[in-house]
Amino acid sequence: MNKSIFRKALSNPLALIGFIIIVSVFILAMLAPVISPFDPNNIDVKAILLAPSWQHWMGTDGLGRDVLSRMLHGGRISLLVGLVAVGIATAIGIVLGAIAGYYRGWIDTLIMRLVDVMLSIPSFFLILAVIAFLTPSIWNIMVVIGLTSWMSVTRLVRAEFLSLSGREFVLASRTLGAKDARLIFTHLLPNSLTPIIVSAVLGVAGAVLMESGLSFLGLGVQAPQASWGNILTDGKEYIQFAWWLSLFPGLAILITVLGYNLLGEGLRDALDPRSNNK
Amino acid sequence: MVQNIRLNRLLPLLPIYVVCISALLSCGKSVEDTTDYNKQYPTEAGGTLIDASTAEPSGLISMVAGESASSAISSHIFNSLLKYDKNLDLEGELVENWQISSDHKTITFKLKPNLKWADGKPLTSADVLFTWKLVTDEKTRSPYASDYQLVKKATTPDALTFSVTYDQAYAPALDSWAGLQILPKHLLENQDIHTTAFARNPVGSHYYKLDSWTHGENLKLSRNPTSVLGAAKIDKLVTRIIPDNSAQFLELMADNIDLMALDPIKYSRIIPARPELQKKLALYKELGNSYTYLGFNLKHKPFDDIRVRKAINYAIDKQEIIDGVYLGLGINIASPYKPGTRWSNPDLQPYSYDPNKAKTLLKEAGFIDSDGDGILDRDGKPFSFEIITNQNKEREKSAVLIQRRLKDIGIDVQIRAIEWASFISRFIKTGDFDAVVLGWSLGLDPDQFSIWHSSQNQPGQFNFIGYNNPQIDQLLEQGRLEMDIDKRTKIYHEFAKVLLEDSPIIYLSAGYGLSAIHKRVKGIDSPAPPAGIGYNSHEWYIPSPLRRIETGRNEISAN
Repeated sequence: MNKSIFRKALSNPLALIGFIIIVSVFILAMLAPVISPFDPNNIDVKAILLAPSWQHWMGTDGLGRDVLSRMLHGGRISLLVGLVAVGIATAIGIVLGAIAGYYRGWIDTLIMRLVDVMLSIPSFFLILAVIAFLTPSIWNIMVVIGLTSWMSVTRLVRAEFLSLSGREFVLASRTLGAKDARLIFTHLLPNSLTPIIVSAVLGVAGAVLMESGLSFLGLGVQAPQASWGNILTDGKEYIQFAWWLSLFPGLAILITVLGYNLLGEGLRDALDPRSNNK
Repeated sequence: MVQNIRLNRLLPLLPIYVVCISALLSCGKSVEDTTDYNKQYPTEAGGTLIDASTAEPSGLISMVAGESASSAISSHIFNSLLKYDKNLDLEGELVENWQISSDHKTITFKLKPNLKWADGKPLTSADVLFTWKLVTDEKTRSPYASDYQLVKKATTPDALTFSVTYDQAYAPALDSWAGLQILPKHLLENQDIHTTAFARNPVGSHYYKLDSWTHGENLKLSRNPTSVLGAAKIDKLVTRIIPDNSAQFLELMADNIDLMALDPIKYSRIIPARPELQKKLALYKELGNSYTYLGFNLKHKPFDDIRVRKAINYAIDKQEIIDGVYLGLGINIASPYKPGTRWSNPDLQPYSYDPNKAKTLLKEAGFIDSDGDGILDRDGKPFSFEIITNQNKEREKSAVLIQRRLKDIGIDVQIRAIEWASFISRFIKTGDFDAVVLGWSLGLDPDQFSIWHSSQNQPGQFNFIGYNNPQIDQLLEQGRLEMDIDKRTKIYHEFAKVLLEDSPIIYLSAGYGLSAIHKRVKGIDSPAPPAGIGYNSHEWYIPSPLRRIETGRNEISAN
């Protein structure tokens, strides 16, 4: 089933473009240690702020480090943060959403009010506030982004569970004496997976942006580790002079986020029964 | 359908858009600046100088405001008793002369005759006494009070004489009187200094008086005709509030401000690369009275061990920091004083870059790489620590260079850049840090009691690294009591020597103060004298052919 959905999603040209973008970005990031022309942390005080050239394709930064190498290694960080943060958010969302949607009653009310409370706080400021009390590091960033963005998944899973639990195959299974665990794990959850996947793919785009934003503000990945966000910060001061420090990380963030969004939307169109022509 | 109609109506406007846009584009190019700014012009009075400030002053009574944005402007409005001349020797500003008693405890100042406030009222010793009482008053809560609280007795035998007596001789006394701006008694008596309208509408005695203050936009000063020191050349000083440095630079390039402080990249890369900027901007560099350092928390292990501190000092390549971070616009120092001044000990040499010596010292201190992971360890614990700094690009870059050099000798360093307010309140005041990259900006008197004396390490005080050396304490105490300048010099030379040997901090660089001033401003001393280029700003002038057209954008926006 999943295979055909995937094929259907990729028959959408925009989704295909998104998929190609994501795969290429991943390949580049994976191969960073092999294809980087320089060590990303190799400081060369004689080569400060050089414009792009054959030697340094994307120029050098304020400490003479090769921007291309830093972009490639920074890509690993940005993608890793995106995936892990969304993994955490999705896991929490599935557990809470399943409990709320399956058991209903007071526990449903409790979880949904918690979701409302969390949603009422602007998430970026919540993250800023939490990071201010922790040591900024990529691990903390991933965890904090994950812990503050599970709410939409919870709502999604709950809604799916509510609608599925009234369907015949679930009722039949229940009548045959299936236990809660069996109902949840073999019937409800597998049938709710597709919207979860779509939301996760779209969520990665948000997490990549969030990490870049935090690193731009100096609260994310700490020096000397590169991330697209902190390369962009270095460029801010010299934007009229060293345009390459702002342009390349900006483009990388733009393209990656675009890729995830295209893929996510393509998947949604393919998976949404209402857009199904059959 | 509806949209189609709208579109049809808009279409005839298209040519108008095109004309407007092309007109706008051509405007940008048409004004070709053909003025020759390098020509010699005779001195003449008049004109407007436009400056920019990143912060708006909270008020213009600097003893209360305690911020540089305030004193930068109030120093044009108020006088002090004394001032530093071009070569940093003290001379009278409001006073004609001063005498120090033979026991060095009493100083008697003789005011110049016929001094006047800008409102025409006479300025007398009563105003000076009033100002002293105000600054030492508990209710004023002035950050500068401590110097003046040492005065046991202040008297005014007559309208032109002001005399102060200290409990014991206090060498930094004269310097402190050069820093106190004298306020008018007749306008401030019986007023609450924190809420008085005078702070936004001051009356002083100096070259300029405040004309208008538009909140969030600018402060405009004009020449004070009754200035006690004679007339300044430039008619009007406008200080525009532009919080962002990059925006200030755009304004400088667009000729909307006349001067600004620069960072090394703007100074040595951006401006020299643009002939049109070089043509109208003159660049100045002067050695400031400040330095950047790596400071250890001496209460944390292993920084209590002098061998470890020295090893780190040998392991850091300071020249690399000067070249890489300051683009060569800094110098390597060995004492906490501005190089070339009397107080800086010329015999001291900075620690050389010598990683082998560093490794030997660390071995002596018991650090070896016993598990072969490339990081030294002692008693099973790896040598790893965190450097914190505020979000200042130069300091962050210095920390990255230090991190790399320490990794070379097997020390693992993490870096954390923290926003200024929480940096001070959560880390510096609580002493919750291993090491810091920070800077000290210093006054002109060599007394550094508050930074190094062991009594000054309470939370909120300046000796936050917890330095405690009885020999340094003794030298600092002696230095405050010694009035003979040669003996005092010797004391501070010895102080700097002991400090360098003990290495509680590592001097990274004394950076140059860099600035750009529009070439229309003439009369600037270059190269800068010891007191800095601004010391004779009252003699700067703008020849009339080079002045801005006064009906321009700045005049409109300011009203």
